[in-house]
Amino acid sequence: MDKFALLQFYGLLKREVLEHRNLFIGAPAVVAFLILVAATWVATQIDQSQLAEGLRYVSVLFDGLSPFDMAPFFMLLGIPFILTLYICSVIYLINTLFQDRKEMSILFWQSMPVSNFQTVLSKIVAIVVVAPIFYVLIIFAMYLIAMVWLTILGISNDIDLVGIGWMFLAAIASLVLIYISAIVASLWLLPSMGWLLLFSAFAKKTPLLWAGGVFILVGFLEDFIFGTQYLANWVASRASDPNQYLIFEFQNIFERIFNYDTLFGIVVGAILIAGAVFMRRFTD
Amino acid sequence: MKDLILRNRYTLLLTTLIVYMVVLVAEGMITGREARVIEFENPYFDLNLNNFEGFRERENENENENARVRVNDAGDV
Repeated sequence: MDKFALLQFYGLLKREVLEHRNLFIGAPAVVAFLILVAATWVATQIDQSQLAEGLRYVSVLFDGLSPFDMAPFFMLLGIPFILTLYICSVIYLINTLFQDRKEMSILFWQSMPVSNFQTVLSKIVAIVVVAPIFYVLIIFAMYLIAMVWLTILGISNDIDLVGIGWMFLAAIASLVLIYISAIVASLWLLPSMGWLLLFSAFAKKTPLLWAGGVFILVGFLEDFIFGTQYLANWVASRASDPNQYLIFEFQNIFERIFNYDTLFGIVVGAILIAGAVFMRRFTD
Repeated sequence: MKDLILRNRYTLLLTTLIVYMVVLVAEGMITGREARVIEFENPYFDLNLNNFEGFRERENENENENARVRVNDAGDV
């Protein structure tokens, strides 16, 4: 890939971030703020001496433990952010191509030296790779604020803070797991992403209704035409267990990405995304 | 063929959905796909929603066991 193509792609990604600041930055910032407010409220409800005793216990507990071994426990703090990312992803994917046509900016972008494929690819990369970076950075900022607060609390109560340092390292290691989980989840759910993009490019009105309605209709059609229920089975296989895309150990990453179901899902997702790319030629 | 598929948005959508259905049904027939979940190892906590029924049964068993213990304890007194 030459330098011009890279610059083009960087420009497309920057456009996605600038146009969807609320979903990429605003939403996780609000979640982090709410968590900090809730934590502060809880702290004010607890007696100062009990709080100091709890901090001393946590400090002893984490002292000397491997951050990578303890990182999975901090994944729990990341769950509200991962859920927010999923919700924002659905809103983004169902609206992004639809909005381009609605506000007629599609005509401007099609007059630029970028193909429909590059545009759609930039939207996928923005939500799979770029959005989780912002989420992880905001979680990091939240951990940093919590760390400063714990340090002040520890110093004012004369507590040994070495264990708290180890806890912070575990929290940082968990950020890597959260980021990888977000990417693996996106690959696992690529067919859903392709489906939303296809109807975002297709519908003249209410793309979410089209996506949901046709999804149910296709399930019935399969039963009528083929007399089978493989579509329903396939969806049930992929949507019911968060363990399939949440990563708790670094050793699991290869197995999660390079297994038959994930790779087949990528193929199905690619079919739907190809449909969305071709659908971009109908600009009305 | 290409002109037919790309004639308008509806023919393109129909073609995409047909390809999507045929690929999934063919794969389902070849692999004999059933509604199943790949169970990855998670040593920290159980998140498998498919085991919800089993979880409820285990909860009921535990409750019965606790009730039995309470009755036995009351009997001892």
